[in-house]
Amino acid sequence: MIDVRNLCKTYRVPLKDPGLAGSLRSLWNRRTRDVHAVADVSFSIQQGERVGFLGPNGAGKTTTLKMLSGLLHPTAGQVSVLGHRPQDRSPDLLRRITLVMGQKQQLLWDLPPRETFELNRAMYDLDRAQFRRTLDELVDLLRIGELIDKPARNLSLGERMKCELCAALLHRPQVLFLDEPTIGLDVEMQAEVRRFVADVNERLGATVILTSHYMQDIAALTPRLLVIDRGRLRYDGPRDALASRIAPERRVTVRGEVPALRELGFREEHGRMVATVPTSRVNALLSEVLAAVPAADLGVEEIPLDEVMARYFRGDEGEPGQAAS
Amino acid sequence: MSAGARAGGWLARHLRATPTLLRVGFASMVAYRAEMVVWILTASLPLVMLALWNAAAADGPVSGFGQAEFARYFTATLVVRQLTGAWVVWELNHQVRTGALSPQLLRPVHPLAQNLAETAAAVPFRLVVLAPILALLLAWRPDIAWLPSPTQALLGLLSVVLAFLLSWLVQAIFGMLAFWLEQSLGLFSLWFAAYAVLGGYFLPVALLPGPVREAAAWLPFQATLATPVEVLLGLRDDPVHAVLVQLLWVVLALGTCAGMWRRGLVRYGAVGA
Repeated sequence: MIDVRNLCKTYRVPLKDPGLAGSLRSLWNRRTRDVHAVADVSFSIQQGERVGFLGPNGAGKTTTLKMLSGLLHPTAGQVSVLGHRPQDRSPDLLRRITLVMGQKQQLLWDLPPRETFELNRAMYDLDRAQFRRTLDELVDLLRIGELIDKPARNLSLGERMKCELCAALLHRPQVLFLDEPTIGLDVEMQAEVRRFVADVNERLGATVILTSHYMQDIAALTPRLLVIDRGRLRYDGPRDALASRIAPERRVTVRGEVPALRELGFREEHGRMVATVPTSRVNALLSEVLAAVPAADLGVEEIPLDEVMARYFRGDEGEPGQAAS
Repeated sequence: MSAGARAGGWLARHLRATPTLLRVGFASMVAYRAEMVVWILTASLPLVMLALWNAAAADGPVSGFGQAEFARYFTATLVVRQLTGAWVVWELNHQVRTGALSPQLLRPVHPLAQNLAETAAAVPFRLVVLAPILALLLAWRPDIAWLPSPTQALLGLLSVVLAFLLSWLVQAIFGMLAFWLEQSLGLFSLWFAAYAVLGGYFLPVALLPGPVREAAAWLPFQATLATPVEVLLGLRDDPVHAVLVQLLWVVLALGTCAGMWRRGLVRYGAVGA
C-alpha cells in the first residue's frame, strides 16, 4: 500500500557570510549549497502496519513523511501511497490519508473545534449521518465532549491536540501519518494519545506511520522501526530485533536501597538498585541476589529504547549501517 | 476517468462545500470583528481623497469634475474598494513562509478556494461597516445619490464581481511569489502604488495626463477599480467593452495563478513546510 523506491530530497540552501559585508556580497554573488535531506531511501509498508520513524534531529524523517503525504515533491525516486503519487494530491488519495503535525494546526484558532469539524465535513464531502456517527465515536474515545464548543484558542495544548486528532480522523482515513503528535504534552496526555492511536489502528485497521522524539511513543505503538540518519535508511525491521542486537542485556532491579548488592555489580538509581548484565547471566544473578537478600523485590527489564537508540547512533555496536536489513 | 469528468467532479465537490465555507468564513469575520472594522477602515482612503479633491474643485471644476462629481466618484470608489477588498497576499505569503499552508494542502478542497470563500464571506460584514459612513456622506452632500439605469446597474454589478475576482487573483499571484522570493510583499507594495495612481484610487483616470491615461488603458489596474466605478456612474461611453476587457484580465490572471500554483507547490518546502 505504501511503496518507496530510491527516494531523494535535496534542498538548495543559500549561503551568506555574517554582517553587513556578507549581506552586500550576497547581493551580486549568491552562493548556495545542496543539502541532501533524504538520500536513496526505499521501503514498503503493508495495510494495517504500525511503523515508527526514528532518527536524530535533521535526519530526514519528517521530510520523508511530508513526501509520503504529498506536501513535498521528491527530487528523485518514486513514492506510491494507495496506488497514487502523493505529490499529485489527487482528491481520492487526500480523502484516504491524514497527517497530524504536532507543531502545525488545522483548527480554526478563534472558533470552536466543532466549526473546524463541520468545515472538514464539507471539504471531505462526508455524508452527514456518517459524519455524526464518526464524530460521536471520536468525541467519546478522546473524551473531548466538553471542549468542542470552546474557542480553540482557549484550549490547553493537550486539549488542542486531541481536537486536532479528531479533526484529522473524521474522514476515517486508511493511512495516518503522525509527525511528533505528542510533542509538548504532559506524560498523562502523551499516554492518552498513544492509547487512542493504538485504538484507531485496531478499530479502523488504519496504517500508522509515526515519528516522535519520545521513545515511549515508539515503544508503545510501533513494532516495526525505520531508522533514518543523515538522510539514509539505516535499519528497517522489528523493533525488538534491533533492541536485542544493539543492547543484548537486561536490567535486573531490586526495589529499595540495598548497599549489600553493590558487590554483585548493582548501583543505586532513583531509589532502587540496578545491574545491567548479559541476558545469559540474568538467572544466575537472580539466584545470587536472593541468596544475599532473600526478601528482595526483584524485576527484570529490557534496556529502554532511548538508550538502545543512543548507543546505536553513537555507533557503540559498530557502524549504524551494519544493522540495516 | 477523463480529464473532463475529473474537472466536473472537482467543481461539483467545491460547489457542494461552498455554503459551509462561506458560513465558516463569516463566523471567522465575526470572531475577528474588532480587527476587521479597523482593517476595513484602513481601506477608506477615498474619503481622504474626496476631501482633497473637494477643496481643489472649490473654485471651479477640474477637468470637468466639480465638487458633486468628485463626491460621487470617491463615494463609488469607497464602495467598490470595500466590495473588492482581499487579504490573500498577506495570508498566502505567511502560509508559504511558515508552512501553515500544509494542513490546507492535505484537504481535498483547494486552499485558494477556501480563501476565496472567506473573502466573499466578508462582503456582508464590510457593507454593515460601510452603511453608517455612506449615511454620513449622504447627509453631508445629498447630491451624491444617483440612480443608475437598469443597464448601468446590471453591467456595474458584473463589473464589480469581475473587479473582485481580479483583485483577489492579483493578490494571490503576488502571495504565491513567496514560493520563490522572500520579498513578495514588497513587490505587492509596488503594484499597489501603481494601482493607486493608474487605477483610479487617488484620482479619476480622466484626470491623468494624456499619454499616461492612454498607457494605463492597456494595464490591468483600472479593471480592478476605475472600470466598475465608471460603469456604475455612467462615465463610460463603452461600458460593454470595458467589462469585456475586465473579463480578459480575469482569464489571464486565472491562467497565471493556476500555472504559478502548480510550479510553486514543487518549490514548497524549500521555505519551511
